[in-house]
Parts: sequence; structure tokens; C-alpha cells
Amino acid sequence: MAGTGHAQLRDRDDVLLRVKDLVVHFPAGRRRVVHAVSEVTFDVVSGETLGIVGESGCGKSTVARAIIRLVDITAGEVLYEGRDLARLEGEDLRRVRPQVQMIFQDPISSLNPRRRVRDVIAEGLAVWGDDIGSWSRDRIDELMDAVGVEARYGARRPHEFSGGQCQRIGIARALALDPKVLICDEPVSALDVSIQAQILNLLQDMKRRYGLTVLFISHDLSVVKNVSDRIVVMYLGKVCEIGSTEELYSSPAHPYTRALLASIPEPAPTVDVSEGDIGDELPSATAPPSGCRFHTRCPRATDVCREVEPATEQVGDADHFVACHHPVAVEVALGAR
Amino acid sequence: MAPDQTTAAPVPLLSVRDLHVRFPTERGTVNAVNGVSFDLYEGKTLAIVGESGSGKSVTAKTLMNLLPRTARVSGEVTYDGRDVRALAAEKVKHFFGVQMTMVFQDPMTSLNPVKKVGEQIAETLRYHLGRSRSEALEEAVELLDVVGMPEPARRVSQYPHELSGGLRQRVVIAMALACQPRLLIADEPTTAVDVTVQKHLLDLLDELRRNRGMSMILITHDLGVAHGRADDVAVMYAGRVVETADARTLFFDMRHPYTEALLRSIPRIDDPVHHRLDPIPGRPPELIDPPDECAFAPRCIYAQSDCLGGVPELSGLVGLHRFACLHPTGTERGMAAMSSNRAAGATAAGLPVTGSGGGSG
Repeated sequence: MAGTGHAQLRDRDDVLLRVKDLVVHFPAGRRRVVHAVSEVTFDVVSGETLGIVGESGCGKSTVARAIIRLVDITAGEVLYEGRDLARLEGEDLRRVRPQVQMIFQDPISSLNPRRRVRDVIAEGLAVWGDDIGSWSRDRIDELMDAVGVEARYGARRPHEFSGGQCQRIGIARALALDPKVLICDEPVSALDVSIQAQILNLLQDMKRRYGLTVLFISHDLSVVKNVSDRIVVMYLGKVCEIGSTEELYSSPAHPYTRALLASIPEPAPTVDVSEGDIGDELPSATAPPSGCRFHTRCPRATDVCREVEPATEQVGDADHFVACHHPVAVEVALGAR
Repeated sequence: MAPDQTTAAPVPLLSVRDLHVRFPTERGTVNAVNGVSFDLYEGKTLAIVGESGSGKSVTAKTLMNLLPRTARVSGEVTYDGRDVRALAAEKVKHFFGVQMTMVFQDPMTSLNPVKKVGEQIAETLRYHLGRSRSEALEEAVELLDVVGMPEPARRVSQYPHELSGGLRQRVVIAMALACQPRLLIADEPTTAVDVTVQKHLLDLLDELRRNRGMSMILITHDLGVAHGRADDVAVMYAGRVVETADARTLFFDMRHPYTEALLRSIPRIDDPVHHRLDPIPGRPPELIDPPDECAFAPRCIYAQSDCLGGVPELSGLVGLHRFACLHPTGTERGMAAMSSNRAAGATAAGLPVTGSGGGSG
């Protein structure tokens, strides 16, 4: 599982966000560090929805939090419209922040329980004042209406709403500052099945209505497929595979991606169910495995995987990149010749 | 379920009849379970599927005698011919946890954080089966081996925090198996773990059930999990079973509009990218003072005026395909209801219906 290499970066004028060699370490005491994110590289073009998928501990949420500087960046760049967010400080950072907004997994705990929801939504506008568009009752009502919460409930507090309603309010709060980028960290994982579809459709509608670029983080492969144009698969702090959604689901090349697709209760038709048998011991992120980080669980691992970290390389001519010494799709293609 | 009704029908291992559970609260009485009935046969898996508030977990806790004292319970629970709710206190002690055991969602909260996992398993064996300390610890190692724990001899002396979520859940399963139960109730056993781990745990439960001839009740909100792992499925909504059938019938020839709507609303791995989802409008009802109507009617695109006139009964006999709906999907009545709602532009409950909005018509 590399992360080394930048083959997946696109040379286009409309790249809005470029994350290059991002490293995030957390101190774990006794001089140990958690290698949460290790040299992660990807880009997002304007208007795109990029999905980041992986299991717990893969670093997907840390990547999101690092982009908006909720955690400190150890090394690497986060270029937003050409400016490095990782190096911005003080007033410069403050000025960029409204443009990149985030919604969180737990809709209820991410809203201040003591404030009226109208004030929760308005807080960013109140802070920014006339810089963005002044705080007006009409503006808040319009936002509440857009996300499907009746404006007449604006004086209520978060506990008076259901989880789905709270997530709508969280979305309204994020949209209040007229952001260009919306980062969604597991936005439907805490919601009931019958409510998830409502929120996913709402996000699609808001994306279209406000011209958003979306970074969508989830562990759920079906949800990510539904919303994303392009997908990054992460494992233990590294990028394994990245590509257009169609490519990635129709010909998954990385053994880990295939294991994920084979493990879901109704497995994807492109993989064999036995490919999901990868053991359930996730190695420690304080002492990640040498070479390819997936080699300890990978059915295809050989000596080279233990020693050399694979670089991301293109698969065929498609928008599809994989960091693996023994990718699956290539062999299948060779075998077909 | 689905026993042969004509020949001498086998006796179910567990039989639940007209179970009601109510909780008095400051805001009023919560009607958590409203007349649930089902049978579970030896060696079978029944999945109980529902969203939060549907009553699935309360049903499980009622079976395991784990409800708070304030709960008001009525109905019959018969296990192997015995009335479980009438068991004497002395018998109860070695019934729950021995004959019938339970695995919970979050392994971290069902394990004692300051006790080695081996001792926790051994405790069960010593209490229920009177094993000595050393015998029990030896058996704990064997049990960990059975549940697929790598290096079981070393793991017995570890604490829960030293194990991953998947391994912790294996410890909980080992504890549940310690006394060779005939019925295992698994309440969202894989909701707190990753997909690759989920697969291993579900495979393990399947294998244990088959090898030991155990019966299982699998409580889940995940229709995919229920589909792959259960013989029979009961769908719960607002404290009632609204549809129950063998898994195949339920997923491919369902009759209740809620079952249909739920299956339509979830994104599937083989759907095309950016496929527009068909959400269920509105949200689940309040369980305090529910109106005397079909609980799903306000969200149902088939709803007619008779749906608002009383709670529909579950059709047919226990063990067959049963559903509680007056205008079932996939039937003529359902199709007629759908086309009249489309023509009117709304259901009898006032839900707008557009020409393209879901339904099988």
C-alpha cells in the first residue's frame, strides 16, 4: 500500500483541492507515534464528489480533519486554489475557512444543545458579518427551507428534533457561509435506514443548487458508490486504490478493495466471496508493517511486498490507479490475451 | 418457521404469543412492543429486522428477562414447552445464560474492562456449571479456540482493551457459548465492527449454529445481513411485526409496503453510480399514545381511508407468510390503491403521490 507516487494527480485547470504527501502523526506517549495518515496524495476538481472509503483506523476522517486544520499536519501540502492550507496561519487561514465547511457523523452531538437551531445555523454568519452576506432572518429561513426543516421551528433546540432533522440543520449550518467545498464525514452512518436515503438525496440536491465540490467519507461501499464521481480507498493511513467510481467497482485491482467488496453482506458481483477472507487483525498504526502495509493480511503477498512499498501506478488507460505489486485487474487482462 | 402444518408439526423451541411491553415515562406510556408473536424451531435462524424504536431490541431483552422493573409485560413466552416468564427465581438463575444466551452490540460494554478475558469466560463456567478455577480456565482457552481466536492460550490473560473490536466480540461469543446454549440471541452483533470483521463474525455464528444445532435470533437493522444469514425474517415497525416469511419470500415477494419501501430506499452495490434513491417520506411514529390506525399509513404510498380506521391484523397462521396490510403490494388490492392515489395526487393520509413515486404499479 503505497502512497508514494503522484500518478493519480490530474493536470487540469479546474483542480480545486490538491492533497500531496499528507502526513499526520499523533503522539502516543513514550516517544511512540500513531501513523494516522502517511503520504496521502489525491486531488479534487471543481464540482466533483470524491469519496474516501476504508475501515476504521484507515485515516479517512483524519485526512478530512487535516484539510480543515482540525488536526495539525505533520508534513505535506493541502493546496486549495493554489494556496497551501497547511502553512496558512492567523487571518489568512481565517479568511479561507468559510469556503471549506464540514458536516459530521453524529448530528445531535455536533449541534450546541443550549442554542436555538436558528442561532446554530446563523452563528457563522454572525461571526463573519458583512464579509459574506449579512445575518438576516430571511437568509436563515431560506436555508432551513432548502434543507427541509420548517422555518417556524427555528426557535427550538436540537434535542427537540430527530437525528435526521439534526443532520439537515447541520447541513444548513455548513451551507450558511456559502462554501465551495463541503466535507461530509460519515453523514448518514448514525441515521436509520429509512432516513439515510432522504439525507443522501438532500446532499445531491444541495450540491447541484449551490455548486458544491464534495469530499464524502464513509465506510459504506454502497453509499460511497451512490454519491461519488471518483473514489479513494484507504488502508492503515495509505492510499491503495483511486479511480473513477465505475472503474473501481467494475474492475477493482487492489486485493484490499476486492476484500472489502467481497465482505459486504450482499457481495459485489465483480469479486469472489472468498476474497473477503483476510483475517481480522488490523496491524498497529504505531508500528505499521514494512513494505506494503496490507501484506500481513493479503492473500497475494510475496517477499517484495514485505520489503518494498509499492507506488501508485495507472491501470490500463483508464482513470484508475493502484498501489500494489500484484494488482488483480492487470493479471486478468493479461490472461485474457 | 414454515413447518408442515398437515403432518405432526414439530414443537418449536421458542414460541412467543401476543407479547406486549409498555414503559411508563413522564411523558406518557411508551408502547414499545404491541402484540408480537412468532415461533422459532430447533437449528433455525430468525432475523428480526427494524429501525430504531421498532421494538426489536426490547423484544430480545424481554425474552432474556433483562427489562427494567418498571416495564409492564404481558403475553406468553414458551421455551421447550415451559412458560419462561413463570420460571421460579431459583430456576431462572441457571436458565438465562445457560439454555438461552445473548450477544450484545458493543463488546466493550459487555466485557468487564478490568478483568482478564479468560477469567470472564471462566466466571460463567464456574457460576453456572460449578467448574473449579483451573478447569474453567482450561475450558476458556478451548472456547476461545472454537470462536477462532488466534493464540488462545496467550489471549486468556489479556484485558479487553488489548484486543481489537472483532476479537472482543469473539470473546463475548465464547462467553455466550460456554454453557452450550440451545438458543443464542444476537442483538446487532456486528454493528460496531468493520465490514471485513463483520463477515468473519457472521460466518462464525453460522458455523457454530450448524455444528451445535443451536437456534439463533439475529436482531439487525441491516437488511443485507438478514438476507444472507436467516431462514426466516420478521420485519418490525412501531412495536409490531408487520411482515414475516422465509427469507426468500420476504426479499423477493414481499407484501407489506414498509418492507418494499425499506428495500427500495437503501443504496445497493450493483446500482448505477448517482442512482436517485427512493426515500421513505416522513419518519417513524411516536410510541406514546399512537393513533388507532396502521402505524405506517402516514408514510405509505398505498394508504387508503380504511388504513386510518384501525390497526390491521397480521394475516394468516403463525409459520406462514404473514403481513399486516389491507392493500398489500404485489396484489390487486395494492395495485388498485396505488392507482387511485396517483389519480388523486395524494394518499388518504395526505401524503403527496406523484406518477413516478415508487410502488410496483
